Amino acid sequence: MKKQILTLILLLIASSCIPQEIIENKISSSNKVIIKVMLLNGSISDPVGKEGLTNLTASLLTSGGTKQYTYAEIQNLLYPMAASYYASVDKEVTIFTFQVPSDFLEEFYPIMTSVLFNPAFDKNDFERVKAEQENYVSQIIRASSDEEYSKKALEDLLFRGTRYQHLSEGTISSLKNITLEDVINHYKKTFFLNGRTTLGISGNYNDKFLSRLKNELSTNLKEIKLEEPEIKPKMPDGIQVEIISKKGAFGSAIFMGFPIDVTKRKDDFIALMVANSYLGEHRKSYGVLYNKIRETRSMNYGDYSYIEWYENGGANMLPPSGTPRNINYFSIWIRPVQIAAQLKKQYPELENIKLGHAHFAIRLAIRELEKLVKEGLTAEQFEETRQFLQSYIKLYVQRQSERLGYLLDSKFYSRKDFIAEAGEILSKLSLEDVNNAIRKYLQAENMYIVIVTDESEAESLAQSLLNNAYSPMSYSNIVLKSLPKSILEEDEIIANYKLNVKSVRIVNNNEFFK
Amino acid sequence: MKKLIILLLFILTLSSQKIINAQNSFVPFTIHQTQLENGLNVVTVPFDSPGIVAFYIIVRVGSRNEVEKGVTGFAHFFEHMMFRGTDKYPKDKYEQVLKSIGASANANTSSDRTVYHMTGDANKLEKMFEIEADRFRYLNYSKEDFIIEAGAVKGEYTKNYANPLSRLYESIRNTAFDVHTYKHTTMGFYEDIVDMPNQYEYSLQFYKRFYKPEYCTILCVGDVTFNQIISLAEKYFGSWERGSYVADIPVEPTQNQTRYAHIKSSEVPPYLSLNYKGPAFNDTEIDLPALYLISSIYFGPNSSIYKKLVLEEKKVKSLGCYPSFSRDPELIGIYANLKDNKDLRYVLEELLAEVEAVKTKPVDITILNNAKSNIQYRTLMNMDNPTDIANILSSFISASGDPESINRYYKTLGKITPEDIINVAKKYFVNTSLTIGTITPDDIPDVTINK
Repeated sequence: MKKQILTLILLLIASSCIPQEIIENKISSSNKVIIKVMLLNGSISDPVGKEGLTNLTASLLTSGGTKQYTYAEIQNLLYPMAASYYASVDKEVTIFTFQVPSDFLEEFYPIMTSVLFNPAFDKNDFERVKAEQENYVSQIIRASSDEEYSKKALEDLLFRGTRYQHLSEGTISSLKNITLEDVINHYKKTFFLNGRTTLGISGNYNDKFLSRLKNELSTNLKEIKLEEPEIKPKMPDGIQVEIISKKGAFGSAIFMGFPIDVTKRKDDFIALMVANSYLGEHRKSYGVLYNKIRETRSMNYGDYSYIEWYENGGANMLPPSGTPRNINYFSIWIRPVQIAAQLKKQYPELENIKLGHAHFAIRLAIRELEKLVKEGLTAEQFEETRQFLQSYIKLYVQRQSERLGYLLDSKFYSRKDFIAEAGEILSKLSLEDVNNAIRKYLQAENMYIVIVTDESEAESLAQSLLNNAYSPMSYSNIVLKSLPKSILEEDEIIANYKLNVKSVRIVNNNEFFK
Repeated sequence: MKKLIILLLFILTLSSQKIINAQNSFVPFTIHQTQLENGLNVVTVPFDSPGIVAFYIIVRVGSRNEVEKGVTGFAHFFEHMMFRGTDKYPKDKYEQVLKSIGASANANTSSDRTVYHMTGDANKLEKMFEIEADRFRYLNYSKEDFIIEAGAVKGEYTKNYANPLSRLYESIRNTAFDVHTYKHTTMGFYEDIVDMPNQYEYSLQFYKRFYKPEYCTILCVGDVTFNQIISLAEKYFGSWERGSYVADIPVEPTQNQTRYAHIKSSEVPPYLSLNYKGPAFNDTEIDLPALYLISSIYFGPNSSIYKKLVLEEKKVKSLGCYPSFSRDPELIGIYANLKDNKDLRYVLEELLAEVEAVKTKPVDITILNNAKSNIQYRTLMNMDNPTDIANILSSFISASGDPESINRYYKTLGKITPEDIINVAKKYFVNTSLTIGTITPDDIPDVTINK
C-alpha cells in the first residue's frame, strides 16, 4: 500500500511537470508537421575533461537505436514516410527537430517519443557515433573549409578559459575520455529537465495529438537543477593574432572579433543590426566591407560582419535559427585572400613579393570599422539600411521550419516573436539610436584575429603584422592599370594604417581543438 | 517484430493510396506557363505566401556551353559580370535599388544553367522586373570592371580549393570525359580562371550569344497572379529581340575502359567513388527516375549495404549515390567515406558486388513502393515556401525547359517496375564506362578492376 501511494505521488509530481512553454504554429494548409524540442543544455553543460559529451549524447539519440527499435528498424519504418530527424547542439542549447508528412503523424509518434525518451544506448551505436565525432574534430574541421576552420578557431581564442571555448563536438583528447556510461549519466542528468525544456510544433496537426505529446513530454521531465557556468569573455588587450600554419593552403582565411555585451534580448541589438548591415550584411553586395575588398579591389569572394554567431555562413544565405546565445561577439569575416606563393606563380611581375594580401585586407577592414565608430551612419545610410532590414528580416522565417525555429529562439531571449518585434522596433528606430549603439558596443582597438594560411606565408605575415610593416597591395599589371587613382591613393593610406597589434603567434595546424 | 511488420504494412497501404490521390499533377499547385513572341518563357505559380514573391530568371547557359578552348568557367564568370551595371542603373545605383527592395537576391551557375533569383516584397515586383530586364537587355560594364571582377572568381576558386573533395571532383570530370564540356567544372580550369582578365572581348560576345529571350525562363512563385506576371513580362521583356546562336556541344564518345582519378591526401578520411556514365534528363523515359530509385534503395541509409558497411561493420562512415539532372549524359556517382584505408579494396568490391546485385536480383515490390513514397513525400515536404518551390522548378526548367516536367517525371517514376530497375542498371552500371575516384594517402591506391 505504501509503495502504491508513493507511486501515485510520483505520478502526480511527474504530471505536474509541464514543459515551460509550448510554442505553437498551426498551419492547416501544410502537408507536414515539424516538432522541435529545445533543451537548455548546450556544450557549456559538458563536464570539464568530457567536452563534446552533450553533442555525443544528442547524436546517439538521433543516430542510434531505442529500447523499442534498433536504428536499422527505425530507418525501415521511416523510409516510406520520408520522415526525418536530427539534433543540433550549440553553446547553450540542444535542439531536436522532427519532420513528418501529416499523413504519417500517428505512425511517427511512437518512433519519435522512443528516440527522445527511451534510447537504447547501444554499444555499437555509441562506437560508430563517437568515431564520427572524433573524425570531425581531428580531420574534417581542418580539411574541408579553411574559412569555417578560422571561424571555429576564433571562438577557441576569444573564449579561451571559459566553457564557451570548445567546439560542441569536443576536443581530440576529451572525446577519448568519454565512455558510454558518461553518455547515459549525462542524458539522465541534463536532458529533459523541468524548466529547461521547450516544445515547439508547427504545421498540420490536431489538438489531440499535441495534447498527447505534451503529456508524454511532461511525464519525462526531471526535477534536476543544472549548474550554469559563468561565461566572461575577456576583451583583448590590443590586437592579438593567431596564425594557423597549414601545409598546402591556397589562400589566407581570416576571422576576427571581440566580445560585445548585447544579444537579441536587448532592443539595442536591433539598432546594432542596422549598423552591422551597413558595414557588412552577410552575402550582400551593399556592405562597405564587401564593396571595398571584393568589388573595388577584387581581393576575394566576399567580406562581411556579424553581431552574433552565424551558422555555416558558407552555405546559408539567410541566418538560420537554432543557435541562441547569451554571450555574443562582433566579428568580421574575410574570405580567403591570395598568398604570395600563388600570386608569384600567376603573375611574373609579382615574382619578388614577400607577402600576400592578408595584412592589407585586415588593415582595410579595421580601418572601415574605425571609420564607422568615429563617424557613425549618415541619415541617408541609416534610412536605406533600415528600410532594407524591415523587408529582409521577414525572409528569415519563410520556411516553416525556420518560422518555428525563430519562435523558439525568441523564447530563449524572453521575447514572443523576435522577427515581429524587430520589425516594430526598426520602424521606430532613429539615427541617433543606431549611432549610440555603435559607440556603445563597437571599437577598433582591441581584437582577436585568426588566420588560416599556407606554411609559406605564415612567418612573413606574422612579422609584417607584429612590426606594423608597410603592406602594399600587389596587383597584377592588368588590374593595376584598371584601377582609378583614388583607389591607389587610398591603398597607400591603408598599407600604412597602424594596427594596435600586441601579439602574433604562429600555431601548428594540429594545435587547435587538441 | 510481428507488430513492426503489421505497422509497416499499414504504412504501405496508406502511402500507396496517398500517392495515387496526387493523380496527374504531382505538385499541389497550378503551374501557369506561356511563351512570349520572342521565345521568352514565362511561368507563374500562385502560392499562399502573403506579401512574398520569388522572382527567378533561369538562363539555360552554363559550363556545358563553354565549347571554346581557354574560356572554361566563363558562364559562371559572366554571372558575376551581370552585377556590374547598365547605363540606367550603374553598379552603385543597381545595388541601391536592390537594397531598397529588401530582397534576398543572388545568382548561381552550374553545368546547364545560370539562375538569377530574388525573393522579397511582392509589392515591389514591378521594380524587380524593371531592374532585371534592364541588365538582361542593356548590360554595360567597363573593361576595367571586367578585369577587376575576375579576381573575385579567383577568390571563389581559392576558397573552394581547401577541400580535397573539390580537387577530386575536378579530376574525376577531367578523366571521365574526353570531349564533352562536362569535362570541366563550372568554376573552370584554373589556368583559364587566371587568364580571365584578358578575355573582355569574349565576354561581350558571350552576352550577345546567350543572354537572349529564347535562353530564358522567368519564374514567379508566391503572392502573384498569372495576369499580373504576363503583363509585367510583356512590358519589360516583350520587345527584347530574339537571338540565333546555338552552341555546338561535342558528343561524348563511348568510354571503353575503366578510368581512374586519384588525389593523394591524408588530410581527410579515405574516399572512394564509382562514377558511371548516366543518361541525359528525360521525364517520360524510365532511365533517370529508375536510377534515383536505385540510389535510394541500394545505396541510401535504408539499404542493405549501408546497414552492413556503416552500421554493422563500421568500415564506412557515409555512403550514397547521386544521379544527375542534366541536359546531356552525366555521371552517376556512388561514394563511400572510409574509416580506414586498409579497407579500400574490400569496400570497392562490396560496392561492385552490390552494383551486380542490382542488375540480377529483382527488387522486392514493397521496397520499390516504399522508395517511391519516400522520394515523393520528401519532394512535396520541401515545397513550403516560394524560394524552395522556385528552386525545385528551376532544376526541371534547366533540364527540360519546361516546369511541367516535374509532373511528368514523378508520373514516370510512379510506373517503374522491378524489371525496369534491372534493365536500367544493366544499361548504365558497366565497368567500361566507369571512372573510379579516390582520395587516400597512397601514391597509387589499390582499386584497379580486372577486365
